[in-house]
Amino acid sequence: MNAVRFSALRAWLIAGNTLREASRQRFFQFLLLLALALTLGARWLRDFNFGAPELKFLADCGFGAMAFLGAALTIAATAQLFFSEVENRTALTLLAKPVWRAEFVLGKLLGVAALSAVFCALLTGLLSLTLAWREAELSRLLPDAVAPGGGVSHAMVALGGLMQWLRLLVLAAFTLLVATFAQSQLFSVVTGFLILVVCHLQHLAQDAYARAGSAAGLIASSLISSVFPDFQVFQLADSLAAADLPATGDVLRVIVYALSYAAAAAGLAVVSFRRREI
Amino acid sequence: MGAPGPEGAAGVPPAIEIRGLVKDFAVGLRGLRLRAVDHVSLTVRPGEVFGLLGPNGSGKSTTIKLLLGLLEPTAGGCAIFGVPSGRVEARRDVGYLPEAPNFYRFLTGRELVTFYGRLCGLAGSGLRSKLEEVVALVGLAGAADRRVGTYSKGMLQRIGLAQALVHDPRLLILDEPTAGVDPVGSAEMAELILALKARGKTVLITSHLLGQIEELCDRVAILDRGGLVAEGEVAELAGATGRLSFETEVLPPEEIAALRAWLESRGRRLEAVAPARRRLEEVFRTHVGRGPRDTEGGR
Ligand SMILES: Nc1ncnc2c1ncn2[C@@H]1O[C@H](COP(=O)(O)OP(=O)(O)O)[C@@H](O)[C@H]1O
Ligand SMILES: [Mg+2]
Repeated sequence: MNAVRFSALRAWLIAGNTLREASRQRFFQFLLLLALALTLGARWLRDFNFGAPELKFLADCGFGAMAFLGAALTIAATAQLFFSEVENRTALTLLAKPVWRAEFVLGKLLGVAALSAVFCALLTGLLSLTLAWREAELSRLLPDAVAPGGGVSHAMVALGGLMQWLRLLVLAAFTLLVATFAQSQLFSVVTGFLILVVCHLQHLAQDAYARAGSAAGLIASSLISSVFPDFQVFQLADSLAAADLPATGDVLRVIVYALSYAAAAAGLAVVSFRRREI
Repeated sequence: MGAPGPEGAAGVPPAIEIRGLVKDFAVGLRGLRLRAVDHVSLTVRPGEVFGLLGPNGSGKSTTIKLLLGLLEPTAGGCAIFGVPSGRVEARRDVGYLPEAPNFYRFLTGRELVTFYGRLCGLAGSGLRSKLEEVVALVGLAGAADRRVGTYSKGMLQRIGLAQALVHDPRLLILDEPTAGVDPVGSAEMAELILALKARGKTVLITSHLLGQIEELCDRVAILDRGGLVAEGEVAELAGATGRLSFETEVLPPEEIAALRAWLESRGRRLEAVAPARRRLEEVFRTHVGRGPRDTEGGR
């Protein structure tokens, strides 16, 4: 009797099926359309031409839509796609096949990661196009306003998109970890949002306690910060100028940071799901 | 679970071996526990059709989930072809049709069976031919390109059976495959099961409808409130009562009286005379057409 080994192919098949489920759901289609509309519509939010700052404003709107709607999409998709398997009892049939539970958990994570990758890629692409088009228009209207060297660096835009996706990947892994032991989808969604808030605000708490010099607070906040990732690190591309492009080493460090957190959360999710009764 | 079962002598492990299986569920807040399976021991031999009978809530589905490693036993254990449940290898040779099955609504029947086939390691032309074979076998060829979300209950059972058969497993576990299915559909399901048995498959089937099972099974076990209350050959359990019944054409009263007198002259008694009735199910089956009905997308 030869053993059935862990198979990345099976995890990938489950991921593909998860992505297919998501792509056939109206809610996720709606979120994508909304984000696309916001990215494109930012152009008409302000009715004045003032060169480079306007381009920065467009980029901020695009990344804002990506960050906010992307987080909503990721948390909702992770919880929904996991619980739809459990509640519709499709997990029963799936896990009765020669499939490892780890393959199921990783398949779900990969599926959501692929979904948010599609989301970020489409939005980043659209943002790049919008910026290029507006930049061309502005340099025709106000040749002086777009200063030389102040032009849009599309590498910077792409890097911004990558940072957004890494953040969503970590968020998906944490939400999935919650889902593997949660009894309800609602609980997972709410906890997912709480985790998002903690990850965004923890550096503030740390600063505040450090300034106040409260030892207990400092211990508590450093405990939190050793468990939860600091989403501030993904603010690597907060400019459009090619001159501000961070060093490759810094980018790699952030990628490794995100992947380690995602892998740790996914590992815990696998452990927690191993004993779950289906 | 290494201990050889009844078939162990020949070196062939039993298809299913359940030993002292117990499952408690925590219900309620104060750690209240409900014993869903209570010290069940069973052996299913390769090649037989085994019926697990019992009223609703007697623990049939829970036993199956334990067998498939979907639940952890509280005590005892089970094995499939000698491999302990809970190991992934145990599920390699099993096809499972869950109770009241539900499948990915967003896939078509063909996509669904393909997905499960791939998970079981099939690919390429082997997968394609197997796919067409099982879809045709369950009579869904005409509806295989419809979304599963549009399927009727009977069609869900059929696509579930196709999914269970796609990797050609030696053992099939069917949990209430005829629940909610009309009599014609159940009769077809019964025929399918017999055809699978003829191909050498082992089948474990559960039901609370005893009549349907009786004709299918070689052996049955009856569960009640989690415990095994009877087990044995169908012929042995439901067989001869030591009595005899006759069926003839309608007789006039004087002939019945003569028959009775003849029996009494030999010290016997004629205990029951009643017109034979057709069962409603037979009426239904003679009048309702056979073959794919809801499968072709419209009548
Ligand atoms: N996940 C569960 N949690 C708590 N109780 C359960 C669970 N699953 C089944 N039960 C209980 O276990 C008993 C047996 O259920 P089941 O195996 O589904 O019966 P059957 O399939 O014979 O109708 C029932 O009383 C049922 O309520
Ligand atoms: Mg049941």
